[in-house]
Amino acid sequence: MTDEQPIVYIDLGVGGMPCDDCVVRVTEALESVPGVTDAAVDLGSRSAVVRARADVEGSALARAVRATGQYNAFERRRRPAADA
Amino acid sequence: MPDPYDLLILGSGSTAFAAAIKANELGARGAMVERRKLGGTCANRGCLPSKNLIEAARIVWEAAHPRYDGLAAAKVEVDFPALVRQKDDVVRDYRTKKYAAVAEGSGVEVLSGDARLTGPHTIALDGRTIEADRLLIATGSRPKVPPIAGLDSVPYLTSDLLEADEAGRLDELPESLVVLGGGYVAVELAQLFARLGSRVTLVARSGLLRGYEPMLGETLAEAFRSEGIEVVTSARVERVSSDGGGVAVAVETPAAGRIIRAERLLVATGRTPNTEDLDLAAAAVAADGDGFVTVNAELRTNQPHIWAAGDVIGRQHGSQMATPVGARQGRIVAENVLADAGRRFDGSVIPRAIFVDPPIGVVGLTEAEVRARHLPAVTATTPLGYVPRAGAIHRPEGFVKMIASTIDERILGVHVIGESAPEIIHEAAMAMHFKATISDFLELIHVYPTMAEALKIGAQAFSRDVSKLSCCAE
Repeated sequence: MTDEQPIVYIDLGVGGMPCDDCVVRVTEALESVPGVTDAAVDLGSRSAVVRARADVEGSALARAVRATGQYNAFERRRRPAADA
Repeated sequence: MPDPYDLLILGSGSTAFAAAIKANELGARGAMVERRKLGGTCANRGCLPSKNLIEAARIVWEAAHPRYDGLAAAKVEVDFPALVRQKDDVVRDYRTKKYAAVAEGSGVEVLSGDARLTGPHTIALDGRTIEADRLLIATGSRPKVPPIAGLDSVPYLTSDLLEADEAGRLDELPESLVVLGGGYVAVELAQLFARLGSRVTLVARSGLLRGYEPMLGETLAEAFRSEGIEVVTSARVERVSSDGGGVAVAVETPAAGRIIRAERLLVATGRTPNTEDLDLAAAAVAADGDGFVTVNAELRTNQPHIWAAGDVIGRQHGSQMATPVGARQGRIVAENVLADAGRRFDGSVIPRAIFVDPPIGVVGLTEAEVRARHLPAVTATTPLGYVPRAGAIHRPEGFVKMIASTIDERILGVHVIGESAPEIIHEAAMAMHFKATISDFLELIHVYPTMAEALKIGAQAFSRDVSKLSCCAE
């Protein structure tokens, strides 16, 4: 796959994670979204940072997390990878 | 500057709390901003303290007026300051356990001070600037002060008299009281003070409980008069003035003009939204001419990231100023804001109670509303005297009025005045929630003898002469 899109970091708030297992499941859900390179989910701050192509919508990430049926996510903001 | 809040909630009443707790569950970093006491109107100066005192007043009244032959009247001495102190303790305890501890336990920050919008994403809070990605306006309402000549130069009470910790509270029982207003706040407080020993005159612009089924206000006015409360209806207040140590209220009625004198004046003529100090214009948030924030059915304002709920939206989308309504809306806002739930507020089934005696419970449409919408409907009004329990415990006064569609017999509204009405209205509300018909009320076996049988008997009244029922209303 050619990747002409720039890379961005998308900050998410994540809810409904009581345990470490949840971190794994939310990470998997985020990384299942096409265009996502990797996701770092933090239990303590209830947040995630997703590295993805710029055309990845925050709403797609939120939907993937909500589709687990257990967790919620919403986009806080996105930053160019250069800012990371 | 710290990161912006995901959701900043202006207010800390039931609406704000429900939103804050749900937002926290959904992963948001949220905060509530309160300029008065945590918990809003209900906990501090509304439902909670009023229900506490109303129950005390009922005990006083019933002791003095036993309904049973064989029970002698007894006088319960009222120590009003002590009664107020226990009320204050209940309020403070509730505020601590149900609000402060809950906020702390759920990780929701509470910021104190006067908030004012300064831009689409910023508020000023006592000199600080606070940023938020999204805002919820849930600042509630306060007593409306009508433009009556002289009112600005006489001391008067409002429902803030119920306060435990702020100005406007009342510590001495007035010997006499004029209550302006005929709505739910006015009638509850009028009877409360009358039963505790004040001589009360209620002055209403029209009848009592305008907007409700007329039989409710009429029945209540009759009950009030029988208790010694003077009820002046169709009255226009011309002027208020000081009169010795008290107040004089000049009133015009269709019959005559008169001056009503009393030690204290209580103004209970409605409620107005707490929005004029928010500077809605700074965030270009639209409001109507009365200051209620304009929202769509998802409770979003004209600004996509700003939402409003609770008393500040008034009666839009079938909303009502009521604690559980605000709480429901707060939850909906959190889900819409943070989980794109797309939920709309549905105000079609909101049970409501007025804690007077005889008490009132209502849900759904009134007959006037049904007619205004040109819905084909039939009504049945049944005296509660036909309910076995009402007779057994000597509480026969009151009615149940049921309104049903003539198309599918679905129940459109239920209006009850009488013993236990605030409790039994929930059966009607649940029935309406599940789109029940007249037959559903008939099919359900009701506990005998309960006041809830009023609903079964009331449903039978659509097709039978309920004066000829045996027990259990089969």
